[in-house]
Amino acid sequence: MRISKKAFSFQLQWMRSLVALLLVAGLIGGALIRPAVSLADAKSKKLTEEQRIIHVLNRLGFGARPGDVERVRAMGVDNYINQQLNPEKISDTVAENKIRDLSVLSMSTAELYEKFPQPGQLLKQLQARGVIPDDLAEARENRVKGAKNAAPDQMPAGQMPNDQAKGNQPPQPSAGDPLNNEKYRAAIQEYYRQNGLQQPARIITELQASRILRAVYSERQLQEVMVDFWTNHFNVFAGKGADRWLLPSYDRDTIRPNALGKFSTLLEATAKSPAMLFYLDNFQSVTPNPQRNNGPRRLGPLAELTNQQRRRDQNPMAQPANRQPPAQQRRGINENYARELMELHTLGVDGGYTQKDVQEVARCFTGWTIFQPRGGAAAANYIMGNDAERRNAGTFFFNARAHDDGEKIVLGQKIPAGGGINDGLKVLDILAHHPSTANFVATKLARHFVSDNPSPAFIDRIAATFTKSDGDIRETLRAIFMSPEFNSPEAYRSKIKRPFELVVSAIRTLGAETNGGPGTHQWIARMGEPLYGFQTPNGYSDSAESWVNTGGLLERMNFGLALASNRVQGTRVNLSSVTGTVSRTEVDKAKVMDDSLRTILGGDVSNATREALLKQLDQEMVVSLPGPRTPMDGARTPVDGDRAMAAPTGPPPGNQMDGPPGADGPRRQQQRPRTEANINDPVTKVVGLILGTPEFQRQ
Amino acid sequence: MNRRFFIQSSGVALASFGVSLSAPSFIQRAVLGNTVTGGRRKTLVAIFQRGAVDGLNMVVPFGESSYYDLRPNIAVPKPAGTNADAAINLDGFFGLHPSFSAFKPLWDSKRLAIVHAVGSPDNTRSHFDAQDYMESATPGLKSTSDGWLNRYLQTKADPEKSLFRAVSFTQTMPRVLQGKSPAIAVANLADFTIRAGSSSAKVQGGFEEIYAQNTGDSLAGMGRETFEAVNYLKKVNPAQYKPENGAQYPRNQFGNSLMQIAQLIKAGVGLEVAFTDIGGWDTHVNEGNSRGQLGNLLLTFSNGIAAFYQDLGAHMDDVVLLTMSEFGRTVRENGNRGTDHGHANAMFVVGNSVKGGKVYGQWPGLKSDQLYEGRDLALTTDFRDVFGEIANRHLGNNNLQTMFPGYALSQSKFKNFL
Repeated sequence: MRISKKAFSFQLQWMRSLVALLLVAGLIGGALIRPAVSLADAKSKKLTEEQRIIHVLNRLGFGARPGDVERVRAMGVDNYINQQLNPEKISDTVAENKIRDLSVLSMSTAELYEKFPQPGQLLKQLQARGVIPDDLAEARENRVKGAKNAAPDQMPAGQMPNDQAKGNQPPQPSAGDPLNNEKYRAAIQEYYRQNGLQQPARIITELQASRILRAVYSERQLQEVMVDFWTNHFNVFAGKGADRWLLPSYDRDTIRPNALGKFSTLLEATAKSPAMLFYLDNFQSVTPNPQRNNGPRRLGPLAELTNQQRRRDQNPMAQPANRQPPAQQRRGINENYARELMELHTLGVDGGYTQKDVQEVARCFTGWTIFQPRGGAAAANYIMGNDAERRNAGTFFFNARAHDDGEKIVLGQKIPAGGGINDGLKVLDILAHHPSTANFVATKLARHFVSDNPSPAFIDRIAATFTKSDGDIRETLRAIFMSPEFNSPEAYRSKIKRPFELVVSAIRTLGAETNGGPGTHQWIARMGEPLYGFQTPNGYSDSAESWVNTGGLLERMNFGLALASNRVQGTRVNLSSVTGTVSRTEVDKAKVMDDSLRTILGGDVSNATREALLKQLDQEMVVSLPGPRTPMDGARTPVDGDRAMAAPTGPPPGNQMDGPPGADGPRRQQQRPRTEANINDPVTKVVGLILGTPEFQRQ
Repeated sequence: MNRRFFIQSSGVALASFGVSLSAPSFIQRAVLGNTVTGGRRKTLVAIFQRGAVDGLNMVVPFGESSYYDLRPNIAVPKPAGTNADAAINLDGFFGLHPSFSAFKPLWDSKRLAIVHAVGSPDNTRSHFDAQDYMESATPGLKSTSDGWLNRYLQTKADPEKSLFRAVSFTQTMPRVLQGKSPAIAVANLADFTIRAGSSSAKVQGGFEEIYAQNTGDSLAGMGRETFEAVNYLKKVNPAQYKPENGAQYPRNQFGNSLMQIAQLIKAGVGLEVAFTDIGGWDTHVNEGNSRGQLGNLLLTFSNGIAAFYQDLGAHMDDVVLLTMSEFGRTVRENGNRGTDHGHANAMFVVGNSVKGGKVYGQWPGLKSDQLYEGRDLALTTDFRDVFGEIANRHLGNNNLQTMFPGYALSQSKFKNFL
């Protein structure tokens, strides 16, 4: 190969500047996740009004819908913030209508146990009561034999391995999974259909759908952000045992009413929530010395019911021999909740507690338990029409007989003997008002709303507000939103969206319609954040490091493409509403670009991104123009064009969604998302690319 | 900044496009099509058992009467003739849980070593702290910004600039691989591409352009690395893999991860550090003994590793597989027939270069006065001694001080299983 002198020297020069660039890039590479400051404002010390509006819509909510920026500008940013801090005053009929058909949301836990029973558990109960239909009995018999060979000594039916915790994988069907057997499944399905029952997997599918629908459609955006925040702070894993039945109540009765209230109230609500009691094992933490209590004197009606239940559970007819040992032998203290309560819910890991404190706190919470934690025989009683004992299944109660009533010392404070349930309440009070808790909660809020690494001075100020307001979450948030740190260019787009935030904000920004069903759940899960799917109690990370990696970034781009090309099941976007009228002439090309960018990113993108996108549109024009179609068609109706390629069973675009989410239960959940999106339309391509830009990954 | 130099097929060095700004994308693509990468090299496969596996039921000290005294319901019985529920005798004192029958041939052929009473000197019983410490390899120090495997990468040159030098088969990048040196986190190799049907190539080109041009944003570097890896992987063709030697991986995420690691090793892409994890070990309730919850999980665990060993065949000459878990569990069973958070634990080391067939480490005993804080298996080997020995003797990294800051690690502390 010959290289002319001139070309060679050019090459050298090019190489030299490349070396310089490499050095610069090396410096940048050191601080991997650096906030991007858009070129136009790199020098200015303040956000423009437009940027502040976008910032507020991104952080107090899940990004702007078409028209939101104008609405907030018209009412004033501070007024908007105030409005969001008082969600109870915001009318929210659109979102309420969207979730109206999600039946699990309004059901009590007892009803969920009745209507969404675990098949194996239900059949066992029916058999014990002699009311199992013959065909089901046979199918069950066959399956039990098969399961014995496959996985000896399985957990009792209806129970997942009791603590799936501490890994980050979704639960996997065990060898004894009833759904592995076709015949059995068919018999069950038919029985469920006849009796108006549904599979338990449907519960979390609907709950996830409600979270997505509310995040997309609710006017109470900050409320939804805080529900997400506290759901992570007080994480509960749906895959652990009975928690799937307990989570709807957790969302409705524990988290939502307290999301902007007093931290102490929220904390107590979580401590008493069956979901948390089950997740962190406290429901079975009992004193090893029950004789210290004068048992019967303290028995409430619920405890009496429990004893009835226990007697029945010990009936050999109701239980196979290899089931759990009798209750009396299972007694013991469990420290799991006590530790996580201090480490993750209140004080923080360096908050100043010892192993001894963990043990003492665990003693205080003995007896905080759940009535019929796995639903007892709720489903069978429902089918048989027995109303008497089923209404309280899965609710909190304090079992005085299981409580260690001796004196305890927690964080240096004496808790006198004989306190009963007040021991735990006293612990919660100590913890909620501890300075370490103020610091820990302030740190997490600051990290969520301002930046991954908030300054200690800022955290101190927020913690002071938290303390002064007696842990008032609303006032603490107000202090954050009004702070210079929150409103600084450094904070603007400094947070990497988590997958849930990315999916919801993308749907919002395009003005898309969604049913919040499995199509969206699967994408969120693929990007690494399945809702209610985090096994360990620390919840999902709120720092960019955890979310920016090559695999994750690729899935984000693929999601953007799938959404733009209407390949996210149950979600429909009409791109002509994003870009306006499209033509393929030189003149309008830049307009398409800019309309799309304005809609999706408020027009605030780097020149590099804009140039690169424009080039893509250019290339697309060149490829498309010689085609048989006139320049106008195809481009004008991108949705129609894409619909033609959709699977025949695909839903039509527009408001008609493909039925309630998860209609066919766990099977659909296991399907991989339909991800092959043919991107032949230039507008679709540009929108897909914009959703995959670095700018859109940030908020 | 010494990332990636690509060589054109003609052999003319062109330039590094790892962070190139001005090279037209078509040149980039042409060059990427001829990436020089990888080759055969030493590989560490690290497996994290998240949730603290009960090491005492995994590698059973059946020679200790205290073990049976403290675990009336969940102990694994002593080896006894043909009893399939009994421990698998290793050396007359230790035995493997009966779920580990697939490990017996590895033990007998001395490819499997065990280190017992090993773990973190920090006394935390928090999963998250303990995992953090084991991954950062700085027990007690949370401010460490990177994981020890990343520091391993940082401190050993990679002249071949492999794109797949460090791969974690997890949805998100684990702490152990976080840091300055590039690494890939991916759950499933087949999905590691832009999926846009017939227009995939064009769309990918668009993204590449955006991320190549967008130097004002720190995400851009990640984007460029992503596409380099995507382009390379196309040639490996992960969808077409068939395990060899009759290996049968468990059909779950864990088995799938191990199979893909085997695939990358065989493909010669320059894999040096592979990581994956498996959860579900936090057996506070109904742990089971020879059978039950723990036994079922150990079955998946050991069958997966045995399949990996079988599949790789002679490739195991270059591979060391190491298992770890954040801490052990209480010696005494709790009131729920489970075990609570404890202290020291056991690790497996598998490979053809391993001096196997031996349980390494000093055994501290299980009598009450021998227990750590009166309840847990005491620690006699710091986990960093094990990590360091593999990084040094297997992978050839001598920078023990940089990999394990604040710890005076030298070869004299190695257990000499390599």
